[in-house]
Amino acid sequence: MTQPSAVAVLLSDLFPLVWSGLITGCLYALGAMGLVMIFKCSKVVNFSHGNVAGLAAFLVYGLSSGVLLQLSWGMAVGVTLVAIVAVAVLTYALIAPLVFASDLTATIATLGIGLIAQGVTLLVFGADIVALDLPVPPFRATVLGLRITGYDLTVLAVALVTIGALFFVIDHTKLGIAFRAMSDNPFAAEVCGLSLKAVHIFAWTVAAVLGVVGALLIVPTTFLSVTTVAVFMLQAFAAAVVGGFTSLPGALIGGVLIGVLMNLFTYYVSPEYSSTFLLCIILVALNIFPNGVLAAAGGGSRV
Amino acid sequence: MSESIGLLHADKRSPADAMRLFGGPALRAALAVALLGLPLVVAPSWLFTLGICFANSLGVLSVSMLVRYGGEVSIGHSVFAAAGAYTVAILEVRFGVPLWISLPLAVAVGALLGMAFAWPSRRLSGIYLAVTTMALALALPEIINAADAWTGGYEGLYVAQALLPAAPMGLQRYYVALLLLFAGVYALARLRESRQGMALLLARSHPAAADAFGTRRTWARLSAMAISAGIAGAAGASMAYASATVSPSGFTLWTAIFLLVGSVVSVYGLTLGRALLGGAFLTLVPQMLASSGAWIPIFYGCALLAVILVGHYAPKLRSLVERRGRGRSAP
Repeated sequence: MTQPSAVAVLLSDLFPLVWSGLITGCLYALGAMGLVMIFKCSKVVNFSHGNVAGLAAFLVYGLSSGVLLQLSWGMAVGVTLVAIVAVAVLTYALIAPLVFASDLTATIATLGIGLIAQGVTLLVFGADIVALDLPVPPFRATVLGLRITGYDLTVLAVALVTIGALFFVIDHTKLGIAFRAMSDNPFAAEVCGLSLKAVHIFAWTVAAVLGVVGALLIVPTTFLSVTTVAVFMLQAFAAAVVGGFTSLPGALIGGVLIGVLMNLFTYYVSPEYSSTFLLCIILVALNIFPNGVLAAAGGGSRV
Repeated sequence: MSESIGLLHADKRSPADAMRLFGGPALRAALAVALLGLPLVVAPSWLFTLGICFANSLGVLSVSMLVRYGGEVSIGHSVFAAAGAYTVAILEVRFGVPLWISLPLAVAVGALLGMAFAWPSRRLSGIYLAVTTMALALALPEIINAADAWTGGYEGLYVAQALLPAAPMGLQRYYVALLLLFAGVYALARLRESRQGMALLLARSHPAAADAFGTRRTWARLSAMAISAGIAGAAGASMAYASATVSPSGFTLWTAIFLLVGSVVSVYGLTLGRALLGGAFLTLVPQMLASSGAWIPIFYGCALLAVILVGHYAPKLRSLVERRGRGRSAP
């Protein structure tokens, strides 16, 4: 019997780690793209993103488990999506006057919204950890020594469809063109008769939906508590910074990068210092490519 | 972001307005004297709370200073406060160094950390500083626990050395926190009139003019952050001394966010009264809502939004009312 070489062991570990990093990375990308959507058109960093998405995950739990109501899972998600979109529109309505006066003040205001969302979650659902299962197909296969589960495929499929739909809308519809125009030059866009507010509301709504999808899909990998989703959103922030904060493809690449790097770090180094590691990634990314990985690679991007 | 920062509402008020709100020099001096004499009348348990309130006020002051002079928001000032607090605590517990010596070191450590973390985002817009400092604040408890040989891990450290051997400890905690707050307010008042302070304000509001006068924007941002983080370090030292303990749970992301809330509630004011308002808000609200913890973030969030929205709409309403008034009196 021959001992497998160290390299072979390393590779056999590496491959599954990269794969699962890719899966979670897609979810970080969903979170990051929401942040980027809002930042691109209104120059506001939405610090309430994580807490509102966390509230959404808890709402799905509450509506489907009987804590609030006993709905079917699909119904619960539908009701939650409507509620969260309403929250996003309401949030925007509240801070819209600030957005046009000072983006910094508006950014601080989103922190206030985040605090309220956090408090409401605590108030309704308490500080306990709950388990939220998603109805993913019970599928399991082994390809090239890689175990692929139904969860992996669900995440990939949902992420691909969501991101594909978003890019399609931004590339090919009037709304998307308006969004791009506004991101490039809000003043000129307004002169051309575009409504800043309508486009902003579009961005906030899309961001809220992306956040809900990301938060729901991330929950099976951990558990659901008041802090889980906020931590998830730190990863989304890191992904957005790596991607340059103004580029949607950059956010996608940043998300996948963060997912893979985090996975490798927690496996090979330590799971305890993940926030510190993220901090280091953010600092290094800001020093090496301050405008994002895509800008550093020399590729311009449209969206 | 620079042009929009000029629109921060706090700056729109004229100096005369601010004077009317929180008193001229005479009223301020009266407030200071009242605070100095307070231990004669209030119960010792309140002295402890007030000490922490002063320490929080200094922390709020450091965040406000960064907004005013740097035009930037930090969601990680808990980190610089922790640096100051642990400097004081570790020097005392491990080496028996008294506060006289460790306090300046705490300020220096805070300022250096501030510079180090402002460096990566020195040429980028303010949001990067916010995100970096947020990540810093989230990573801090991990780092403190990792260095538990020095920091005492979860349990933290006790700070109990007396400054004056004879005086009662409760009074010492109170007066150290109060005098540090006075020193912070005084230093910022001097900064406003100094050449350095003028240069910082110019670099913030008119970057091109500052360039023409030889003030580099990078330098201005780094030094605003250094001063602010230094004050935060002093606030941390004050928190450590006033509360007698330091532990990671005192320096979480929430601490940092609450400091920002306090700063907003005090309308980014740099005077004694405003700082006390912010500090009292941070200290007293959790005490009043202690039985229902979930209401604290809700209350803070609502207060934050209310102050910001009032700050936004009040000038417009006032001008509307004035226009109405004028319209009516005119024939």
